[in-house]
Amino acid sequence: MLDRRQFIKQSVAWSGCLLLPACRPDPRQRLYRTFSPEEADCLIALCEQVIPADDTPGATDAGVIFYIDNAVAHYFPKTISRYKSGVASLQAYCIGEHGSPFETLPTQVQTDIMKRMESGDLPASDGWEGVSPKSFMSMLVEHTMQGFYGPPRHGGNRHYASYRMLKLDFPLVVGQNRY
Amino acid sequence: MDKNKHVQAIVVGAGGGGGVAAKVLATAGMQTVLFERGGWPSYDAHINDELISQRMQVLDSAFGPAWDKHPRVHVRENGERDIITAANGNYNHVAACVGSGTVSYGAMAWRFMREDFRLKTTYGAVEGSTLDDWPITYDDLEPYYSQAEWEIGVSGDDGNPFAAPRERPYPMPAFEYNRDGEYLAGVCRRMGLHPFSIPMLRNSVAYNGRAACIRNRTCCGYACPVDAKNGTQNTVIPVAMATGLCEVRTHCVVAELLVNDAGLVSGVRYFDKDGKEQVQTADVVVVSGSATETARLLLNSRSPLHPAGLGNNRDCVGRNLQGHAYTGASGLFDWDILDLSGPGATMAICDYNHHNPGIVGGGLLANEFYMLPYAFSQSRPWGEPRWGKAHKDYQRNNYRRLGRMIGPIQEMPMWDARVTVDPQVKDYWGIPVVALSGAKHPRDFEHCRFLSSKAEEILKEAGAVRTWRHTGDRPPSSFYGPSGGQHQAGTCRMGHDPATSVVNEWCKVHDVDNLFIADGSVLVTNGGFNPVLTIMALAYRTSEYIVNHYR
Repeated sequence: MLDRRQFIKQSVAWSGCLLLPACRPDPRQRLYRTFSPEEADCLIALCEQVIPADDTPGATDAGVIFYIDNAVAHYFPKTISRYKSGVASLQAYCIGEHGSPFETLPTQVQTDIMKRMESGDLPASDGWEGVSPKSFMSMLVEHTMQGFYGPPRHGGNRHYASYRMLKLDFPLVVGQNRY
Repeated sequence: MDKNKHVQAIVVGAGGGGGVAAKVLATAGMQTVLFERGGWPSYDAHINDELISQRMQVLDSAFGPAWDKHPRVHVRENGERDIITAANGNYNHVAACVGSGTVSYGAMAWRFMREDFRLKTTYGAVEGSTLDDWPITYDDLEPYYSQAEWEIGVSGDDGNPFAAPRERPYPMPAFEYNRDGEYLAGVCRRMGLHPFSIPMLRNSVAYNGRAACIRNRTCCGYACPVDAKNGTQNTVIPVAMATGLCEVRTHCVVAELLVNDAGLVSGVRYFDKDGKEQVQTADVVVVSGSATETARLLLNSRSPLHPAGLGNNRDCVGRNLQGHAYTGASGLFDWDILDLSGPGATMAICDYNHHNPGIVGGGLLANEFYMLPYAFSQSRPWGEPRWGKAHKDYQRNNYRRLGRMIGPIQEMPMWDARVTVDPQVKDYWGIPVVALSGAKHPRDFEHCRFLSSKAEEILKEAGAVRTWRHTGDRPPSSFYGPSGGQHQAGTCRMGHDPATSVVNEWCKVHDVDNLFIADGSVLVTNGGFNPVLTIMALAYRTSEYIVNHYR
């Protein structure tokens, strides 16, 4: 027979043993609502190019990917297919041309690819269903700016990264500061 | 008690005009129902969130309308029809809540100038435009301007030498200049211009039981956390409710004005907050739903006597849709010209509001409301990188170094810039929606080039190291079709002649003896000023007429 105290102790111990390993997620799994971990890796690299880290945080540190992931799921569902098609087509291009996915390419190569996307020079023969390299790029830039410079409550601008950079007062204290 | 018991007056739309109308009618003893399709605004619903503010509306619009329930149609120049939501720039959105735009506005409290009521007399007819004089003059409206300034609350002084004369002073002292306002005012004086503190519907001192302004940057586009900004929702509407005679019926969508056999309006058919169809009857009806929605309601109210819609037997309803093209210039300085003491706009000049060679009308220029970080990330001179390290550097180096002189121009009204109702598309309640069509007058672009060059001169004189102009004539702007936006006006024009106007000089619909309009729709021309105080003043005047003749 177990008394009550022992029962609780044991059940805690058992559940600890049994459940904890199962609960521990693969760090990349189920982190996103919209994107697969592979798609997210590519987008993170793209966003970091749009707002790179230097002496202040960039898009990755500010969690811009979480803003985009949330915003497209919640507010812009029509853009989900454009994002997925854009990422897949960009990756196909990078692997075909450079032999490896976008996020593994050297920074300068990434920048050049994005500049070509922006100007419409990137060949859009394969893939690019429902989105051109140019419109994909402008959508990505716009959403990255929203995630980085918008308020943190939508998932981006973590720890008020952009407000710190601009030396704005934060967080909001209603009636106390001027934000 | 019967919820829809017959009342003396119905007001449709609780914005700048409707709130005033409800107050005047209720305090005069008239049993009134004030309909509003949105709810009561609250600061907590949007806090300081730039992405859902009335300025950006990136993710949503904190003040409504709900994006999924209120579509509109935009008719392109080639006749193609796009279904659009409030998320689209060409939706021409105003807030849908009690107070409407007066909750979220920047609160500039302009009186029009004498010439603004007499454009055709002053400048002559303009080809391709329906430019006309108002049936009333500044002097007819002056006492009502005063009433609006005192009852709703305006801070200002007599610093503007071009302003038309006033009987009463402002109720509150003028706001001080912020850093860029102070500096640019000095530059303007040196250039022989006449800068002054912008009159604001905002408390410079405690007024009417509410606190003084705390200089928030999140002001224009947001509600005020300390309620120091004066809209109808915190001034006249509470006064109306306190009489016990005014019921504010929120989340109710008015679908149609009902007409009896005599051709008079007998009431409204509406959908209540549960989506249930109801009928409310009244002796007199005031419509104040904004230039687009008021026109839509009239056009949707068809009956044997008014087959094309109420007031539309001469095909005038919905025409002459106007707004304001904003123009001016930006300048980068090599020192921190902004102190970010909100809301940003403090100093204006009216030197270019009238009598500019070759230009009809004019526009004010003011140091602009501050841009918040996301808006600033979208603001770059032509050719500047849109992303990357250079963009980030620009952002942090220049956030406090961007001086701007911006203002609205007097647009030329156009017969074909118009609101119609779409034959197919219906909203959530099955009501045909607004279709917007038409374009701006070519002279508007000319005008923008003129005013922006004047703004640029000021910034150059101020020592800006780099300046650029906002002329609005780059290709995307033609996509935006007719002008409208928050300053939408003109669709139910005031006038003596029923062939060219919808309402008479008392804002009564010409051929319907108990139907009035109290919003921007009745403005013949929209001035080179933010129109809200004029809309409020007209609503006071119209409602007083109703009280005198219909109580």
